[in-house]
Amino acid sequence: MTERRLVLTVNGLAASLADVPAGERLLDTLRWRLGLKGTKEGCRTGGCGACTVLVDGESSLSCLTLTHEVDGCAVTTIEAIASDPVGRSVRDAFEREGALQCGYCTPGFVVALTGLLKERGRSAPLEELLDGLQGNLCRCTGYVAIARAVRAAREATA
Amino acid sequence: MDRLRVIGPVAELEIFTPGTPEEALAAIRAAPEGEVAVLAGGTDLLADLEEERSRARRIVSLRRLPWRTLDWTGPSLSIGSTLPLRALELDPGVRSRLPGLYEAVHAVGSVPLRHRATLGGNLARSAPASDLIPVLLALDAEVELFAAAGVRRLSVDRFVRASRVTAIAPGELIRSIRIPEARPSAFRWQRVRLANDISQLAVAVALSPSDRRWRVAVGGIPPRAIRLAEAATALGTGAPAEAAVRRAGEIAARAVPLVADRRASEEYRRRLIGTLLARAVASALLPREGVG
Repeated sequence: MTERRLVLTVNGLAASLADVPAGERLLDTLRWRLGLKGTKEGCRTGGCGACTVLVDGESSLSCLTLTHEVDGCAVTTIEAIASDPVGRSVRDAFEREGALQCGYCTPGFVVALTGLLKERGRSAPLEELLDGLQGNLCRCTGYVAIARAVRAAREATA
Repeated sequence: MDRLRVIGPVAELEIFTPGTPEEALAAIRAAPEGEVAVLAGGTDLLADLEEERSRARRIVSLRRLPWRTLDWTGPSLSIGSTLPLRALELDPGVRSRLPGLYEAVHAVGSVPLRHRATLGGNLARSAPASDLIPVLLALDAEVELFAAAGVRRLSVDRFVRASRVTAIAPGELIRSIRIPEARPSAFRWQRVRLANDISQLAVAVALSPSDRRWRVAVGGIPPRAIRLAEAATALGTGAPAEAAVRRAGEIAARAVPLVADRRASEEYRRRLIGTLLARAVASALLPREGVG
């Protein structure tokens, strides 16, 4: 069973993976098997949000997700987030507001906020969006600009 | 591929994804005890495997089981064990009718973590720091255990035995958690960090509309969260006077075993109890649409 072939849809394309070990994490599959290095490894224990991707549209921590557990699912990473209109608004808002310093946490923030806006719809209060990003850490502490980008992204999708 | 990291000895770890509870039990039974790990959300299990706290060689994933359910039957709620916490959090009925449960679920990890973490997984793990067990105690929740021979139910209070020790028997899986009635309730916690952190202490309270009595439970204490009957009695029936709340807090602070660790001193935790209890009682009494 462990050696079976896994079929995921990654950024809209079918990815057929053979011989994926049972203990392999989605984070490692994306970065090292599929070469999608936009998804970052931060703490590897679910505490920082840097590795956030969408699984069937819902934000998930790819460091805490076994690849076998997303067999048959659609995975969206930062590389394709702008192909979604909401994702594009979020990316543009981060760019316009200069909401990054070193940039390491940015993919996680952009993907997590895209997931929140899609999940909670246009009427989600700003406070709920900011609250929903508390699991994403910016070690540069650039939160003021990030909060500006969240506000801008919310207004752009409203 | 050179940086690819996997958990444990690659060749030895296998994963099964059964489609029925019976197949899941068979897959568990086929492996030696202690070498099988049941996977729900996996938010704790993966760290256990990587840091070799778990010796599992076989993972049995529950993700295909039909247990991602949320069913209201009149005033009672049945929560499927593998329902992601986020679905529980976003249910409007949970928020209005069981506000303490909403607050506790909302306090767990972060949104992406709650998309995977489950109530069944949290109970099966029974960590002393669980933010969910105190509120389940205050709501008189029951665990429904599925086995080949049938189903048995026991209270969360009896299910949780000690730190990471539960009453689950070999050949059993948690199928659901049942909460008997909607209750004005609240959950209050204190942490160093707001999200993705472990509570230094947590208090859950609930007021039963059927017997008008309070339930009080405290979590973040060794070896497990406990119910505090004497403190609950001190709150009386219905809305308590300020002095009764203070007295309940004093009783609770005396009754609870506390430790000092890197998160907080024993004295700080002791002082937190009365404060969090008073805040929780005040919050539970706020008028809410559809409660009781």
